Amino acid sequence: MNKELNRRDFLKNTTAVTAGVATIASGITLTTFAANDNPVTNEKRWGMLVDTNKLTESNINDMVNACQEENGWGSEIHSTGHQKPSWIKKIKVKDKVTGKIDMLPMMCQHCEHPPCVDVCPTNASMKREDGIVLVDKHLCIGCRYCMMACPYDARSFVHEDLSNQKEHMPRGKGTVESCTMCVHRVDKGEMPACAEAVSSNGVIFGDLYDANSKINQTLKKIQSTQIRTDLNLNTGVRYSGI
Amino acid sequence: MRHLLIIFLALAFTSVFAHADKHVNLGDRATELKDEGKSRDIHPSLAEIRKMHPEFLLHKRDKTLRQGVRTQRDSLKECVNCHSSTKNDEYVPINAPDQFCSTCHQKVGTSLDCFSCHRTTPKEGL
Repeated sequence: MNKELNRRDFLKNTTAVTAGVATIASGITLTTFAANDNPVTNEKRWGMLVDTNKLTESNINDMVNACQEENGWGSEIHSTGHQKPSWIKKIKVKDKVTGKIDMLPMMCQHCEHPPCVDVCPTNASMKREDGIVLVDKHLCIGCRYCMMACPYDARSFVHEDLSNQKEHMPRGKGTVESCTMCVHRVDKGEMPACAEAVSSNGVIFGDLYDANSKINQTLKKIQSTQIRTDLNLNTGVRYSGI
Repeated sequence: MRHLLIIFLALAFTSVFAHADKHVNLGDRATELKDEGKSRDIHPSLAEIRKMHPEFLLHKRDKTLRQGVRTQRDSLKECVNCHSSTKNDEYVPINAPDQFCSTCHQKVGTSLDCFSCHRTTPKEGL
């Protein structure tokens, strides 16, 4: 292996190395900028696929707990019964004919055509370019039209003064709130807390438009459904196994 | 010419008073930075940040919430991080009467509602 380096080999090697370094370096810069400075675009659409066959009841409880832990809701002491916020809840559905019972997690479905955004009188209820539906609490007047309009009962109203909120998730009395798909985590390139809480493939989170993403490929292969398909809302959260 | 003179005098006076009027409670981290001489890296002009901070925050909140731009500059979180002070190893809520925000806001009679939703102390678990 005592080969002398001739001119041609030298050129070949240096070009390859330079090209390699350039690719890696540009990759790093691009991702850092994408994570911070650039506004989100509609080239992505975040979505979630929930496979109820792979989720046990305790998995769903874990999801609810993870959401509470991450976003700091659920410890309201003065709210009673239906006043208590629930960003994500465990739902039991039973087929009356066959008697089949399914448990599923239910949260904001992040519709493409969200009824809550349609009815909001102050533009507080809004959809980001990347498909995440949020409440702009700066503008929310607490009229609760969106709660009435939502077919999934996904939104809650804060009935009491709060303190010690999470740094990344401001919440306060007199505003409506709901699942944000953990937008603060997604912007950092992480997964929503509920998806992370399930270790099996029960919940897949990803970009619905990206042909290489796991969620896109799985949706192509398996049977899945939107809840209340008849409303043509094109939800971002899909279910399979129900 | 007279207009220019008036403007110049006004600016000179405001800057003199702005510097003379020292903040009562700057907050722990901010005091550290000031002692290290780094405060001008964050707020290049004291007069600007004093006058314009509501606009900066308003602009930033829309960019963050609606466009997902999560940078540190002009973020309320970062204001709280630097301008909070501690008492008996615990953070004092920044909207408490003698703390950074309230000292001025009380004086000028503004009552703002940032902290009925936003966290009043830096990060959880401290």
